[in-house]
Amino acid sequence: MRANVGSGDGGMTSLLSGERVPKSHARIEACGELDELASVLGALAASLAEDREVERVEIRQVQGELLHLGAWLAVTPGSLTLGMLKPPSEGPVEALEGSIERMEKDLPPLQGFILPGGHPSAAWAHVARCVCRRAERRVAAIPAQEALPWLNRLSSWLYVLARHCNQVRGVPENLWKV
Amino acid sequence: MESVSQFSSRLVSRTRLSDSAFDVELERPKGFSFRAGQSIRIFVGDAGRDYSLAGGPSAGSLTLCVRLVNGGAVSPFLAGAPLESDLSFTGPHGVFTLVQSARPLVWAATGVGMAPFLSMVRAGATGFTLLHGVRCSGELFHRDELEAAAARYVPCLSRETTAGCFSGRVTAWAAANLAPGAYDISLCGNRGMVRDFLSLVDERLAGSRVFTEIFF
Repeated sequence: MRANVGSGDGGMTSLLSGERVPKSHARIEACGELDELASVLGALAASLAEDREVERVEIRQVQGELLHLGAWLAVTPGSLTLGMLKPPSEGPVEALEGSIERMEKDLPPLQGFILPGGHPSAAWAHVARCVCRRAERRVAAIPAQEALPWLNRLSSWLYVLARHCNQVRGVPENLWKV
Repeated sequence: MESVSQFSSRLVSRTRLSDSAFDVELERPKGFSFRAGQSIRIFVGDAGRDYSLAGGPSAGSLTLCVRLVNGGAVSPFLAGAPLESDLSFTGPHGVFTLVQSARPLVWAATGVGMAPFLSMVRAGATGFTLLHGVRCSGELFHRDELEAAAARYVPCLSRETTAGCFSGRVTAWAAANLAPGAYDISLCGNRGMVRDFLSLVDERLAGSRVFTEIFF
C-alpha cells in the first residue's frame, strides 16, 4: 500500500517500474488524467438518483478498470513488473459495448448535435466524456496503443450514458439547431 | 493485477522476537501462491491490514513478522488469539518483488520492514546490500539469515551505540557511503525513511530505480 510521503516535493516521482521521473513525464500525465476521470465519475455516481443502481455499479467497474490501466501505464515497457499486472484486454471493451447497446435500445435516434447539460448526472457524464477524450490523447502521446480501444469505447459509453441519464429523469435533450 | 482471491487460514504458531514483535505462522491454504516480497491482507471482522509475507514462496506455511500495535485492528488478534484460530485473508497483493537487474541491489528496511526481504532471501536472493534500520540491536530480527545472504549487511541503530553497527539512520549511512551511480533500490519501512531515501536518490543517485513498500 502506497501513501503520500512528501517525497515528491522536488517535482519528481516514481514509476511503478522504479524509474524516478519528473511529474511532467508523459506516463505521469496520462495517469493523472485517468485519476481525474475516476474522480469525475465519482461525482457522476453521486449525482445519480438512488434507484439507478445499475449505472452506479457500471461506473464503479469503470473506476476499477481505470486503476488497473493506471498501474499498467505507470510501468516502462519491457519491465518485469508488467508481468504482475492485468494487461488491457477485450473483455472490458466488450462490456462497454454491451452496455451501450442496452441503453441505446430505449433512446430516440439522434436529430442533431447535443449541447451538454440537462440533469446533473447527464451533465457530469458529458464532463467525464471530455476528460476521457483528454486521457485518450495523453495515452496516445506516450504512446500506449494497447490502452486506446477501451478509452475510445469509454468516451462513447459516456456519451450514451449522458443521453440515458436525461431520458430516465425525463429531461429533454438540448439540441443545437443551426 | 495478478489474480487476488480470498482465503481461509488458521494460526499455527507464534514466536516472540521482542516485547512488541513476533513471527506468526499461518496455515497455507490450497491454491494460494505468491512471489517473494508480496503481501496479504488479513481481516478481523471488517478491518483489514496488510502484512508482507516473510517466508519463501515454496514454504509449506505462511510466515509474517508482526509489530504489535496497541489498539490496532489486526495485530492484537495475531498476538493474542489462541493457536488454531480461524482467520481470512486476501492476496497476493503488491508488486514489491525481487528485482532482477545488472545494477547493484540496495535494500533498506526499517523495523519489521525487513519481512519482504527475508522472503526474497528465502527464495534464494543473494549479493545485495542490506541496510537494516532499527532502534536498538535487539530489534535486528533474523539478522543472521539476512547477513549470510547479503554481499554487505549494515545494521543501523538509531538509539544505541553498539560495536559493529552503524550509529544512525539508514539514510545517513547511505548518504555517507553509497558512491554516486545507478542502483536498483528497494525500500520497505516507515514513510520518513522512504521520503528521505527518495530525496537522496533524486539529489545524488540519479538514474537509479526505486521500489517502495510503506508501512503505515
